[in-house]
Amino acid sequence: MVDKKKLIVVIVGIAIVSALGASFSSYVDQVDQMTQDIQDESEVSPVSLPPLLGSQTAPVTIIEMGDYQCEMCKRWYDESRPKIIENFIDTGKANMFFIDYPILGIDSALAAEATYCADDQGKYWDYHVTLYDYQGHMNSGWANAERLKSFAFNLDLNMDEFEECLDSSKYDQRVKLNWQKASAGGANSTPTFIIVNTETGNEEKIVGAQPYAVFEKVINSML
Amino acid sequence: MLIPLLIISEHLFLEPYIIFSIYPESIVNFSLILILSIFAGIVISMNIFRIRQIKKTNKIGVSLFGTIIGASAGVCSCGPIGFSIITTFGTAGGIATAFLDIYEIPLRVISIGILIVVFFTSLKSLKNECEIKS
Repeated sequence: MVDKKKLIVVIVGIAIVSALGASFSSYVDQVDQMTQDIQDESEVSPVSLPPLLGSQTAPVTIIEMGDYQCEMCKRWYDESRPKIIENFIDTGKANMFFIDYPILGIDSALAAEATYCADDQGKYWDYHVTLYDYQGHMNSGWANAERLKSFAFNLDLNMDEFEECLDSSKYDQRVKLNWQKASAGGANSTPTFIIVNTETGNEEKIVGAQPYAVFEKVINSML
Repeated sequence: MLIPLLIISEHLFLEPYIIFSIYPESIVNFSLILILSIFAGIVISMNIFRIRQIKKTNKIGVSLFGTIIGASAGVCSCGPIGFSIITTFGTAGGIATAFLDIYEIPLRVISIGILIVVFFTSLKSLKNECEIKS
């Protein structure tokens, strides 16, 4: 006679494993979709480099790989980014790219697409700032399509153009390409930074929402 | 335990060099980590003593449970651990880490409460069990 307790434990275990397997396979499908759709970079919009913040001739480039839903990215945005902009970007010593690495859910990718829709109207960095200013809890709906459109409205963007861009997933491929680039670049968390001296090619990786002092030291060592 | 928790919560960084940072909005979080680490250290030590001296393990499970809850609270989904959980378990992992992140402070408070209760019960039991009978 089968022990009832053991039977219940086995049934619950099978249910848990099945649920995990189902969610894992859905994630694997999502990853596969991210990686397989981009066969050739030339399929993506000709301008595949994200917009640059700062002077093109700056000797140091800061590449941030982040997710708009990432709490630590928000912490870095609030604490370190303003001082970096003031002391390095505005002074021409460094410039910055943001590479989307939407690892925290569907809304992350959608938010990233929305930034490029805003870029079509010349307001990429304004929209980028807005997303971090209004960041909510992960996947709570703060970055769903309706909220993203409301952010665009607040920035006085042409709503017909913006909505058409977002609803048609115009920049879906571009965000996927960025995801692949960030993943290939060795990022396994957000935010991850790569500080590059564009003249010598020296680079330094910084992982996490590290304080301004770290960036100051690394950037100064490259100047 | 303090150091791993500080690393997970991104208060302590080891690369490119060792640096500790704390921001005004993370003072509560840091304080809870400190209290949790102190109580976890005391309680687990007491229970290891009980196991060695009296061969009784009936409180070690609860103390470990409280410690694990407190340690896992605040695992940021975007950190290396959260990222590993999400890539391993997919959507379920994402939901779990989001829960741990959103309810970080309540979970830490609960785990501190559990550890305080275990501390006093372990203290009482050690007093009784270690009493020299004349």
